[in-house]
Amino acid sequence: MSVLKEMFRNLLSKPFTILYPKEPVPIPDRFRGRVAIRDEKCIGCSKCSVVCSVQCISMVDSPKEIEFKDKILMRKKKPQLKLFRCIRCGLCERHCPTGAIYLKNELSDSGTDREVVVI
Amino acid sequence: MPEVIVPIGPHHPALKEPVNFRVIADGEKIVRLELDLSYNHRGIEKAAEQRDFIRVLPLLERVCGICSHSHSSAFAKGIEEIMQIEIPPRAQYIRTIIAELERMHSHLLWLGVAAHEIGFNTLFMWTWRDRELVQDTLEEMSGNRVHYGMNEVGGVRCDLTPHQVSTALERLPFLEERIYQYVDMVNDQQTLLLRFKGVGKLTREEVLKYGAVGPTARASGVDYDARRDDPYFVYTEVPWNVVTDTNGDVYGRTCVRIGELRESANIVRYCLENLPKGPVRVNAPKIAPEGEIFSRYEAPRGELAHFIRTNGTNKVERVDIRTPTLANWTSVAMCLVDQNLADIPVIVAAIDPCLSCTSRITLINTPGGKPGIVTFDELRKRGQTYCQEQGPP
Ligand code: SF4
Ligand code: SF4
Repeated sequence: MSVLKEMFRNLLSKPFTILYPKEPVPIPDRFRGRVAIRDEKCIGCSKCSVVCSVQCISMVDSPKEIEFKDKILMRKKKPQLKLFRCIRCGLCERHCPTGAIYLKNELSDSGTDREVVVI
Repeated sequence: MPEVIVPIGPHHPALKEPVNFRVIADGEKIVRLELDLSYNHRGIEKAAEQRDFIRVLPLLERVCGICSHSHSSAFAKGIEEIMQIEIPPRAQYIRTIIAELERMHSHLLWLGVAAHEIGFNTLFMWTWRDRELVQDTLEEMSGNRVHYGMNEVGGVRCDLTPHQVSTALERLPFLEERIYQYVDMVNDQQTLLLRFKGVGKLTREEVLKYGAVGPTARASGVDYDARRDDPYFVYTEVPWNVVTDTNGDVYGRTCVRIGELRESANIVRYCLENLPKGPVRVNAPKIAPEGEIFSRYEAPRGELAHFIRTNGTNKVERVDIRTPTLANWTSVAMCLVDQNLADIPVIVAAIDPCLSCTSRITLINTPGGKPGIVTFDELRKRGQTYCQEQGPP
């Protein structure tokens, strides 16, 4: 009986599945998606590259003046990360002191090329 | 009739993960089961020794895709005990909420898989549909459906917003109504009853003898649950009951899991309604003092244990993970005896096995008895010689 009841209920209800990619799939605000870097905020402290769980962040030369806590700092390096090595654990975002590196709430593409970088 | 050996696996269309069963059968009846595990060894324990306490948690989460929070929690609470840090109450509540939501999604997944194994795909579709609600809640709270990344040594990584709390509370009544439906279905569907009742029976004595854990043990009347008997998080503050059953068969295990679904929904509701205010983490030291800890955790599949040894550095010296599936395998081999061949899938599925979590390395006797490192090429050569000696199958 319980199965019949449920069947009739389902007959009268809308389909549960979303016709992706025709219809968008709702993505929550906190979703850990593609990693991005706000270059103007990064002070080059290397914390993200130290905590990254798969060590996909390397620091590359990029001298620039950055304003941080009302002071002008001269940064020497900035992070560069291998996009498809990143497992989107979010550790870099959690430990970045300025919020320069963060995970967008949009789907991260997938791929096999390990050398694609995000600067 | 002479006994025949039915080999299943290690790679087989019906298996979701590699494992090798050698079923010795006499006609339709199973005489004995020989098991060969560990085709999926990933060296996680060794890799964990090379990472500091910040970087090790994402790795340990990936021991299992279903109980990822269980592994990181078991490790984090062990390390916190060694470091002697007390994590804030709000963090304890959030950890409990995630843990119970994880149990709900795991048990709903299991119910679907068990139904699928007996060909009752209607129930499989329905449970997996409802499981999406739990997954959505987890995704909203943590940022990911599978690897939540909520834990860190010293608390949790992100706080719950009032909106997340209210959305989760709104979803609970619907989920509870669905759980009641499943109770009805399990009790009055002949399709289920015929395949579940009296199949894979284990007595209380057998469970204790073979060391089964979790819902498998509780279905045979063993009243043990690490959440109550070695309490952690906020399980002492929340009103809840350990679900047991006396049937001891696959039906009993289903009843225990559905009962736990109900309990989990209540625990989640209590925690969301009584979420204390305050910080969600404390600053944990980078280095843990020398020590050893045996951290127990009731994962959805049963008692999970992490043995952790630290040596005064920022890494563990050794972490040994005993997953519930490993503890349950012996009981599967025992309860398969005298059962029908066709009941293998459902009896195996009844412990909710997770094979890659269980895979461990085996130490073999080398000539001379000295430990050493075998390179990939040597291993390959050994395999080739072995195959040549064996001859064609
Ligand atoms: S999210 Fe990606 S880049 Fe950031 S720490 Fe994790 S793996 Fe590294
Ligand atoms: S992204 Fe953040 S953590 Fe990484 S170097 Fe820049 S400021 Fe430091």
